Parts: sequence; structure tokens; C-alpha cells
Amino acid sequence: MAPIPKNKPSSKNGSKKDGVTKALSKKSKNRLSKPQTIKPQKSHVPQKKKKRVYTEKELGIPKLNMITPVGVEKPKGKRKGKVFVDDQESMMTILAMVNADKEGQIESKMIKARQLEEIREARRKEAEARQVEKRSKLEETKDSLRKKRNRQSDTAIPLVDESSTAKAKSTRKRVSFR
Amino acid sequence: MRPLTDTETQTLFSKLANYTGRSLTHLITSSTSIPASSKSKKDEDNRHVFRLHSSRVYYLPLYLANLATSIARPNLLSLGTCIGKFTKTGKFRLHITALDVIAPHARYKVWVKPNGEMPFLYGGNVVKAHVGRWSEDCPEHVGVVVYDMKDVPLGFGVTARSTAESRRLEPTGIVTFRQADIGEYLRDEDTLFAT
Repeated sequence: MAPIPKNKPSSKNGSKKDGVTKALSKKSKNRLSKPQTIKPQKSHVPQKKKKRVYTEKELGIPKLNMITPVGVEKPKGKRKGKVFVDDQESMMTILAMVNADKEGQIESKMIKARQLEEIREARRKEAEARQVEKRSKLEETKDSLRKKRNRQSDTAIPLVDESSTAKAKSTRKRVSFR
Repeated sequence: MRPLTDTETQTLFSKLANYTGRSLTHLITSSTSIPASSKSKKDEDNRHVFRLHSSRVYYLPLYLANLATSIARPNLLSLGTCIGKFTKTGKFRLHITALDVIAPHARYKVWVKPNGEMPFLYGGNVVKAHVGRWSEDCPEHVGVVVYDMKDVPLGFGVTARSTAESRRLEPTGIVTFRQADIGEYLRDEDTLFAT
């Protein structure tokens, strides 16, 4: 979009103004101190109505349809260049902010670590308890097996012994090298 | 050479605050705690400031910074104490030269036994077997300053685990990841002070 030219009356009518002021100065010498207050243009040229200059926002033009790219355009009214921080007070405020931020981070880390530690501790205890239980169960089964075996040996072993000795006597083959 | 901007100051301080506690404020305020109104010009001149020169940040007294303005930018090589440099992405990297600035204000510390000094100074991480003692209640991934057993600062790094966790660690397990050590004064001699 081509920019709409603005009216610049002061530059255009410079020569006319001079002439008129000269003429006027003869008439009213006592008011010479304020030559600009008199508006001679009105009498000669009918004043142009100032055209309204629309800003790009008002026209609703899409942002990409501009001469300058979106990112390049600098915000108006802002000072050009960097703003330095060199005075002690502003540095202290920044430092205080940073410090508070860091403290919070470390605090949250500590809390998190403590919670994790608690969870880990609880899990370890649980595992230990489970192991103890498992071991006791194993011992129990061992004991029961032992008892069972003892009971069986009390009753069955003598019988087995008798029969085995009798059988051994009768059925065992012997080989003699003579 | 110029002062730091707002964002640059914030990045720098947040990096420094990784290693130091609240006493970091002593870096900015001059050693004498006189109110600003009654400060003489001499006190003001002795105040330490940060200056940026060719993406490196220097920490120096104000009068020195003022003197340095008389040297043309290409001719000025270094001034004061180099704290570190800004990367092209805007992050800040601490150099070993900053150790003298952060060591007196360190928040968490690790003391290394004599048998662990050399491995650390050659660029190795700190393993549990080499740790003489450490600050209690230290969370993981925070900055620590590494000292030898005679309290001489050797460098700085980041904790790999919290102290509670590292107690259960095997002796070869890493406790602190190295970030900078004073061995760099020899190893990186060519690039440490000038790019």
C-alpha cells in the first residue's frame, strides 16, 4: 500500500507568507512581534480539508502484506538500542528475584528427594518383611517335611529292613570264583 | 565493552546462583556497608561491576572499567576477572576463572581426598571413593564447588545424586559431574583468555 501523503502547509506557502507579512508589517508596526499569529492564507486560498490518514490497523490489512516484514518492524515510541543495567539497585532487584527463584527450585527438589526417599524406605521395608515371611514359610515347610519323614521312619523303616534282609538272603546271587 | 542488559544480567545471576547462596549479593555491593547517600566517590569507584566484551563477561571494579573505556575495542583483550561467556543462543557458560568469585560464597561443597585430586584435575568426574566429605542435605543436579582436603578450591561441577542416594552408591559411582577444574589453566591455556 502506498502511504498517503500528508499536508504540509508550512513548506508550501512559505513565499506567499513572507510577502503578506511584509505588507502587513507596514500597517501595524506595533504588533510586529507576533507575525505568525496573523493568518493571511485564509483570504487568498481556501484551506484544504485535511485528508484523514488511516493507520494500517484501521484498514485491516493482513500483516504479511507490508513492505517491512512483521519481525523486522521496530515498535514505535520505544528507545532504540539496548537498556543497560548498571546501577546497584536494579541489579539487586534482579538478583533478589533470581535468588528467590533458585531457593524455590532447590526447596522443591529437596522436598521431592525427601518424598522419594520415604517411598524408597517404605518399599525396602516391605521387601524385607516379605523376605522374612518367605523365609519363615520355607522353614515351616522344611519343618513339616522333617516331621513327616520322622513319622514315616518310625513306622515304615523297621518293616522295610526286615523284608529287605529276608529278600536279600533269598534272592541275592552270589558268584564265587572257585 | 558495555554493561549487561536486563536479560543478560538475569541469565548471569541465575547461573551464579546455581553455585552460591544468598551471599551472592556481596558481589554487587561494595565491601563497606555504608548507605548510598553517605557514600564517597571513592567507594563508588571501588564498587564491582559486570562488563561484557566480545561475548565474555568480566567482573571488575568500576574505576578499572572507566579506565578501560580509553582503549579501543579491538585492542582490548581482557580486563578484570573473566566470569564466563554468552553463547550464541543466549545461554551463559561459566569459566574456571570464575572460581575465585564463586568459591567464597559456595552453597554446596565436596571435599576430595588427595588420591582423587589428580583424576579431577585431569578432567575426570568425582567418584564416591575419592570423596572425603560432602555437604549434607544436597539435592541432585545442583552446582557444587569441589575442594581438596585443605580447603583449596579445585573446580566446580554438578551433583549426580543427592547425598542420601550417593551414600548407597558403590565406590566407583560418580558423585559429581565435572564442569570446570583448575587443570584447565594448563589444558586450555590457548583459548582461556582469548578466543
